Amino acid sequence: MGSKMKRISDASRGKIASMEHRLSGVLRPIKPRKEFVHGIAQRIRTKPQVAFVDRIANWHLIAILIAGLVSLTVFMAVLGRALLSLVGKKRTA
Amino acid sequence: MPEFEEQAILLRASQGDQEAFGVLYENYVERIYNYVYYRTGNTHDAEDLTARVFFRAMHHIQTYTDRGVPFSAWLYRIAHNLIANWHRDRSRHQEIPLSDAPTLHYKGEPPEMALEQTQERDALLRLIRHLPAERQHLLILKFVEHMSNSEIGETMDRSEGAVKSLYHRTLLALRDELEEYDPGEKAGWLDLNA
Repeated sequence: MGSKMKRISDASRGKIASMEHRLSGVLRPIKPRKEFVHGIAQRIRTKPQVAFVDRIANWHLIAILIAGLVSLTVFMAVLGRALLSLVGKKRTA
Repeated sequence: MPEFEEQAILLRASQGDQEAFGVLYENYVERIYNYVYYRTGNTHDAEDLTARVFFRAMHHIQTYTDRGVPFSAWLYRIAHNLIANWHRDRSRHQEIPLSDAPTLHYKGEPPEMALEQTQERDALLRLIRHLPAERQHLLILKFVEHMSNSEIGETMDRSEGAVKSLYHRTLLALRDELEEYDPGEKAGWLDLNA
């Protein structure tokens, strides 16, 4: 019984050693590209510029919204005026 | 970097010092990149996700609290969450090719043998990528970072004994998976390096 257990234990130890050998050949440290590492480092250290760009992007969005509202108002005014003139013409007829 | 020094840098970074965060970035970028690379299998996504890990960390560094676990554990947690989202997004698509995996050089070996070894390597990497996330993390820390069981325990918030046990179970499971994957070659390439 004891020797059987020992055989099983030896077998699994052998399997583990074999797998460790294989894995150490496959899982190796990989160096990221220098341009990538430096690029991100630069972006991290110049965060305010990124925030400024973000702010500009927000201003763009706000400007588009304001322009949209103005256009909508003008369109509604023109439409209202056209309707009023149509109603006026009908009354005179 | 000594622990006390890192604590000081962390404190400065959490107060909005970008230069300090830059130091942390330089200290951990390779580790996070390796983790992401082995979890995704390609350099393009590894770069994209690594960048996102550090930008997210920088955004939330003010909320970071030292709970006695290494700072790397916090970064690995962010990386793990981003990778989980990435896998969810990619689940509709086909399996990722390993074409851009770094090539290992087998000097002086015939091309057929080199090809065979590359295939074995790809097969093993694919099997590793199908393991539960925790087991993949353990293997990366063990073989890529060369961490001891106690260091892995600190990073993964587990006891040293639990790490040792998980490690053995993982290797045995991986060995069984490999045998199932290609039983005809059991006596052949599986023991090539043994």
